[in-house]
Parts: sequence; C-alpha cells; structure tokens
Amino acid sequence: MSMEDYDFLFKIVLIGNAGVGKTCLVRRFTQGLFPPGQGATIGVDFMIKTVEINGEKVKLQIWDTAGQERFRSITQSYYRSANALILTYDITCEESFRCLPEWLREIEQYASNKVITVLVGNKIDLADKREVSQQRAAEFSQAQDMYYLETSAKESDNVEKLFLDLACRLISEARQNTLVNNVASPLPGEGKSISYLTCCNFN
Amino acid sequence: MAAAAAAGPRAAGGDGGGSSPASSSLSMERIESLTELADLEAAYGRLCAEEKAVQGELDALLEQQSTIESKMVAFQRMGPNLQLIEEDAQQLAGMITFTCNLAENVSSKVRQLDLAKNRLYQAIQRADDILDLKFCMDGVQTALRNEDYEQAAAHIHRYLSLDKSVIELSRQGKEGGIIDANLKLLQEAEQRLKTIVTEKFDTAMKQGDLPQVERFFKIFPLLGLHEEGLSKFSEYLCKQVASKAEENLLLVMGTDMSDRRAAVIFADTLTLLFEGIARVVETHQPIVETYYGPGRLYTLIKHLQVECDRQVEKVVDNFIKERDYHRQFQQVQNSMMRSSSTEKIEPRELDPILTEVTLMNARSELYLRFIKRRITSDFEVGDSMASEEVKQEHQKYLDKLLNNCLLSRTMQELIGYYITMEEYFMRETVNKAVAMDSYEKGQLTSSMVDDVFYIVKKCIGRALSSSSIDCLCAMINHSTTVLESNFREVLYNKLKQGFPATTFQDFQRGVTSAVSIMHSSLQQGKFDTKGIESTDEAKQSFLVTLNNVEVCSENIMTLKKTLESDCTKLLSQGFGGEQAQAKIESCLSDMAAVSNKFRDLLQEGLNELNSTAIKPQVKPWINLFLSVSHNIEEEEFSDYEANDPWVQQFIINLEQQMTEFKAGLSPVIYDTLTGLMTSLIAIELEKVLLKSTFSRLGGLQFDKELRSLIAYLTTVTTWTIRDKFARLSQMATILNLERVTEILDYWGPNSGPLTWRLTPAEVRQVLALRMDFRSEDIKRLRL
Repeated sequence: MSMEDYDFLFKIVLIGNAGVGKTCLVRRFTQGLFPPGQGATIGVDFMIKTVEINGEKVKLQIWDTAGQERFRSITQSYYRSANALILTYDITCEESFRCLPEWLREIEQYASNKVITVLVGNKIDLADKREVSQQRAAEFSQAQDMYYLETSAKESDNVEKLFLDLACRLISEARQNTLVNNVASPLPGEGKSISYLTCCNFN
Repeated sequence: MAAAAAAGPRAAGGDGGGSSPASSSLSMERIESLTELADLEAAYGRLCAEEKAVQGELDALLEQQSTIESKMVAFQRMGPNLQLIEEDAQQLAGMITFTCNLAENVSSKVRQLDLAKNRLYQAIQRADDILDLKFCMDGVQTALRNEDYEQAAAHIHRYLSLDKSVIELSRQGKEGGIIDANLKLLQEAEQRLKTIVTEKFDTAMKQGDLPQVERFFKIFPLLGLHEEGLSKFSEYLCKQVASKAEENLLLVMGTDMSDRRAAVIFADTLTLLFEGIARVVETHQPIVETYYGPGRLYTLIKHLQVECDRQVEKVVDNFIKERDYHRQFQQVQNSMMRSSSTEKIEPRELDPILTEVTLMNARSELYLRFIKRRITSDFEVGDSMASEEVKQEHQKYLDKLLNNCLLSRTMQELIGYYITMEEYFMRETVNKAVAMDSYEKGQLTSSMVDDVFYIVKKCIGRALSSSSIDCLCAMINHSTTVLESNFREVLYNKLKQGFPATTFQDFQRGVTSAVSIMHSSLQQGKFDTKGIESTDEAKQSFLVTLNNVEVCSENIMTLKKTLESDCTKLLSQGFGGEQAQAKIESCLSDMAAVSNKFRDLLQEGLNELNSTAIKPQVKPWINLFLSVSHNIEEEEFSDYEANDPWVQQFIINLEQQMTEFKAGLSPVIYDTLTGLMTSLIAIELEKVLLKSTFSRLGGLQFDKELRSLIAYLTTVTTWTIRDKFARLSQMATILNLERVTEILDYWGPNSGPLTWRLTPAEVRQVLALRMDFRSEDIKRLRL
C-alpha cells in the first residue's frame, strides 16, 4: 500500500456501447480536452484524478472500457471491484439506448450489489439529432433506480457535475458502510482502505 | 555668570534666526537694550570673537587672489588657440561629409555589380538548364534506344527536377519553338518510359525475377512514381509471402497429431508467417531507404499488412475449425450458466487450446511491436525536420495501422474468448482442488492451498505469456475474485463451524483420543478433512484451516511480488502502452488487498479459538485462585512454599492445553494465539485478584506466584509479556508494602523510571485488599 495523500479512493468504471463518448467524457474530466476523431478504445484505459470535496482529497481511479463486443470479457473483469459504474448511451443513437437492459444484465451478473450506477446520456450538443427523449431516459432510470444525467463532453456540459456528484455519493455511502461494518465487527488492521464490499463478517 | 553666558547665545540664536554668518548675531537694538554689566560683557566678548572670525575669513580670501589672477592670465592666453581649433574642426567636418558621399557612391555601384552578377548566374543557370534539357532530350532518346532504362530515368529525373518556371521562360524566348518541340519529345519519352518500366516490372514480377524486379523498382522514384513503385513492389512481396504461407498451411493440415509441436501447430504457423514478413522487411528496407528516401517504410508495410491480414485470417479460420474453438467457448458459456455438474465441460480439456491461443497472441504482439519499431524509427529519420503536426499525423497513421489491422482485431477476439475460458478453467479447477482437499499428518496445511495457488499462478502465468497487458490484468482481476469470493468463502465456512468447545474433563479425554486418532491416521496415511464426525477431527479441521488462511495471505503477497517482477520484465521489452504500468499496479494492489482480508479472517478465527477453546478452560483455572487464601500467616506461607497451592498446577494445565495448539498451528499463528492467551490471563487474573484479600505474607505469596507465571509465559511466546502484566506487577508491588504511606515512596515525583498503569482510585482499591491496612490511612493518602 502506498502512502499516498488522499482520504478516499474510488474506482469508477465507464461502460456502454461503442462510440457513445465514454473516452471523451473521461478526457474532458481528467484533462479538460475534447480530442476530435478519437479512435475506438482498445481494451481498457486508465486515468486518475484527485479532487477535493469538502476539504477531503478524493482519488478517483477511472477505468474507461472499450465498447466493442470483442473486449467484453476484459471489461467484465473490472465490474466487481468497481465502486461506481457510469452507464453511458448516446442521445442521438436509439440503438445505444436500446442496449441498456443488456448492460444492466451484465451489471447484475458481474458487479457488486453495493455498486452505484449512474445513467448518462451523452452528446446533448447534438440536440437536433436527438433520438432518445429526456423523459424516456428519466423514466427508464427511475424504473431501474439509477441516478440520471445528460452531458456533453464536447461542450463540457454536466461533465464535472457528473463525476463530482458521484464522488459525493460515494463518500457518504462509504461513511455509512464503514459505520455499519464497525458496529458489526471492528476489523483490526483494516486501516484506511475502503473495503466496504466485504460481504461476510465473522460474528 | 556662567548661566547667563550660556543663556545668551541661545536667546540671541532665537532672535537672529536665519541671519547670515557675516552679519553679527547680535542686533544693535538688542545691544542698546542691554543694561546689566554682565550681559554687556558677554555681548562684547561675543562680538570680539565674531570680529576675529570675520578677519580670518577675509585673510583667506585675500590669499586666493594671486592664484585667481594667474589663472585669469592663462585663460587670456588660450583665447587665440580656441579660434584655431574652431577652424580645424570645420575643415574636418567638410572632409567627413565628402568621404561619406564618396562611400555611398561606391557602395551603390557595388550593389549594382552584385545584382548584375546574380543575374549573370541566373542566366548561366538557365542556359545550363536549357542545355540540360537538350542533353536530357538527346540522352533519353539514346538511352531508350539502348534499353538503358536507368540512364533514361536519370535524364527524366533531371528534367523533372528542373525549375518549371525556367522552362516556361525559355519557351517565351526566340528559340521557343525548338524548345517546345524538345519538351514535347521529352514528355513523350517520360510517358513511354513509365509504360515501359511498368510493363517490364510486371513481366519480371510474373517471372519471379527478383533482380529485374529490384532493377525496375529502383527506377520508379526517378520518375516521381514513389507510391506506385512501392505498391507494385509490395504486390510482388505479398505474392511471395502468400505462396510461402499457403505452403506452410498445407503442411500444418497434414501434420500428424502425434507430432511434438502438434498442440501449438497454429501458433507455429503464425510464427512462420510473421517471421517471413519480418524477413521481407529486413531484406528490403535498405533498398527502399536508399532509392525512395526515409519515411516510406510505412507505405511498404501498409501494403504488406493487407497480405498478412489475409493469411492470418486463413490460419485463424483453420485454427477455429480444427480446434473447435467457438464450440468450446459456447460450451464454457453454457457450463457457466448451468450449475449442474453433469453437462459441464471438463476444464482439463481446455488446457492445450488456452496455451495455444496465448502463444498465438504473443507471436502477434511480437510481430506488431517489430513493425511498430521499424516504422517509428523510419518516420523519425524522415520527419527530423518536419513540423509537430506532420509528426503527429504520422503517429496517427501508425496507430491506425496497428490498431485497425485485421490481425489485431482477430487476436483481440480470440483473447476475448480466451479470458472467459481461462476464467472458467481457473474457477472449476479451484473448485475441484477444494473438493479433493486432503490433509496429511505432519503437515500444517491441507492440499487445497497449494493446489489453488498453483492453479491461480498457472492461469495468470498463461495470461502473462500472451504478452497482452489487458488480458493479464483481466486474469489478475478474475484471480482476485476467485480468491476473495470463492476461496475465502470456503475457508470462512470451515471456520464458521467453529472450534468445538470442550470442558476441562473433555479436554483430558481429548488428549487420549487425539493419540488414538494419530495411530489410526498413521495407518491410513492421511485423513479426510471434509466429513467432520468427531470433535477431534473438527478441531483438527479448524486448526488446519487457520494455517491455510495464513498461508493464503502469505502466498498472495508472494504472488504479487513475483508478478510485479515478471511484469517489469515484460514492460521493459516494450510491450504495453503508456498506462500499462499503472493498470497492472492497480490490479495487483487489489489483489494485495485480498491478502489483508485473509489476515482479518485469521484474526477472527484466532479470536474465536481464544474465546471458545482457551477462555472456558483458563477462566476456571484462574478462578481456583479464589479458593487459595492469601490472608495468611507465617505457618501457611511456609506450607505454601512446600506444597504450591495454585500456580504450578495452573502452569501445567496451560502447558498441556497449548501443546495441542503448538503441534497443530504454524509458529506464527501459535505465537499470536499465545499472545491472545496471555492477554486473557492478565485480564482474568486481575479480576480474581480484586476479589481476594491479602495479608502482608499473602502479598508476598502473590508476588512469587506472579513471577513464576510471568517466567513461564516468557518462555512460550515471543510477545512482550512484561507489558501485558504491568498492571498486575504494580498491584503485587502495592500488596507487598509495609505500610500504607510507603506507596508515596513510589508514587508521583518518586516514581522514577516506573510508569504507573493504575489510577489513584485503583491504587486505593488494591491497598484496601490488604486486611492489615486501615481504611482511614488509605483515605488520608494524597495521591
């Protein structure tokens, strides 16, 4: 364990169909860039950004996965250790929205049951090409009990908000869980690592 | 008088403030108003002094008169000289102006000369060019007649490199007509040569005549046909690659299954293909560099890659068909969905194919890295003067070639299937190892720990051998899951069954039955840890599981370290992108976190053991202390000395109890357990102590008992006992005091190096245990 200077460490994994703008969202947030003509991601990309929320240093490990089918088995291996999943679709692409239930099945199958999932409709700068209405997506996310947000990586709309809100929720979730954990059994040597994914405790 | 004299000047100063030093500091009015003799005298005195000073100044000024006069004379003498100088200066200025004009005149002539010279050069150049043009025209005709294509091409090259505007200008001249005709002929010759070279090249290619192919390949760039030359040449090379690959594939299909390399024959075929292409690049790179210049290798390889992709597709298609790759993957997927074990695919059957796929990928990565390096360094040479944009553009071309080629995509697909199958292989084999778990007498751990780590290492090792960082990370992630969820769960469930609680009597019986178990196990060689029937087996199982948990935690850290150094090796060879290191580190640190979870599990298991096995027995043994009176006189004290009433038996009991654990637990765990036990003893003993009463000799007796106990416990653990027994030792000290007030010799400022672990209230409480101490004395103590 490195003695890095942070109070919280969270793993965030971006998933969703190919070409919906996952890499652009991550680049926009971590580097403030919108690289045009971004090629398809190969396997998984990995970025780190440390943000400060209410005076606490939060290190976000962001895993940007490839949307293409042939990388599915690689990306699936990252679900389980994820604290949060950002499920992304393209508001100008009906198909990417229609695939969401399939993605949710994957989450169900591979992710921890404590994982926080956020639904993100990207590319709102292309409003005239919109194929998925906000209302439809909102209803869908409500039915699935997901936090929902529309973004534009290009115009930098809601990108910061997406990650910072998520970080806030992760912090409060982590606090609750460590609290519950501590009541159940004080684990010696747990230290600072936030391992609230522990499923079984010795009673 | 002195005071008046002192006051005088101050008053005078006030009056005549700002007056010059030449005029008197005393005004006439003031002198007239003076009436006192003393004042008058003082005024007089001062006036005298002033007069003296003025006299002095005047003398000094007068002295300077002669010097000033001599200087004036010198000035007057200089007058005529100054006039001379002025005339000289005017003359000089005139000369300078003249020279300046002259210089400007000369330099403008030089400029004109320079211009003329340049024009002359240009004229010569143009004349040369025109001559060249004529020479080229004649030369091309001759060369073409002689079929000397190199010479012809050289002439055309010369013509092509001529300044087009020069030619245009020449045509406007008097001899424009002739030049026009020449040019026309030259252009015709160029076209003819292009056709001839293309035709000749095609013929040579058809005949497989390498020298001729290379001959005409060298001519293309001279005619400005770089792209065409490279594409034609690549076509030739591709043909060669293709025929060789077909040959190899035919060989593969005919390979006997008993062949030594049969299991990796497709990987071998890919290797041959890649090596062939690499050799082609290696052989022809110099000729391309020499005749086409740097930065052209990309074009050549881009063409070659098309053929490579075509051949890879064939090999992989055959691989998929022959090895039933997709069906096996399908079966694995079905097996993962279904839990019934009957239809599950046997993991062992997957072993060879998994190895072959990783080998295939490793070969592909090696090949891709090779062409990446070659193209990058070729671009570097070509782009040494280029702008940043051009460099980035070229980098983009390269990335696109590497990422989008069919080879990459095909391998990514194969690896995608591979990961799912490898995960299945690992999970199922681990389950099998758990199911077949056995324990051999004399071993601390059972077979499944070694087996499970052997499997995990094998699977990650295989993923590593694919040279794909993403594949490796995925398998590290899956291993973490299997260890953390599946395997930890198994051990957790075993520990949850608990260590069977035994009373003191049970324990004694336990020792004898353990002996008989040992006998029977010696006869059988080993005994099963699954079906727990007797208490002894349950105990054994619990202790073995504790050892297993500890070894798991250790093994994970060892595995992490090994993988770290393996990955460093892989990365240093240039595999993986820029984030490869960070990705691996992150995945490995997740794995290391599982080690801590096993540590926690061990700790919980030990706590369980301590509270169910040790505490219920140790507590009654300590409670026996209460039945031994410590409110004793001389006679009993010496009787105790002869027949120890408590501590010796207690130590024997502890020793007996711990023997079982010492034999069954790893030294590290045993040590932790004795640590827990000593803490328990310290706490429990303190409790009974506070329930007892003491005489002076009783205190001494307790002190002796405590010392024996500490001495014993020191021999059985490496933990620091003294610290745990610090409170008890201090209590013994208090119980040994002669008088109540003697405590003050050790308390507060007198405590010296001793740090009291007892609060003042506790000190009073312990003092009160002494029957012979009066409570008023204790109350009166100031602590």
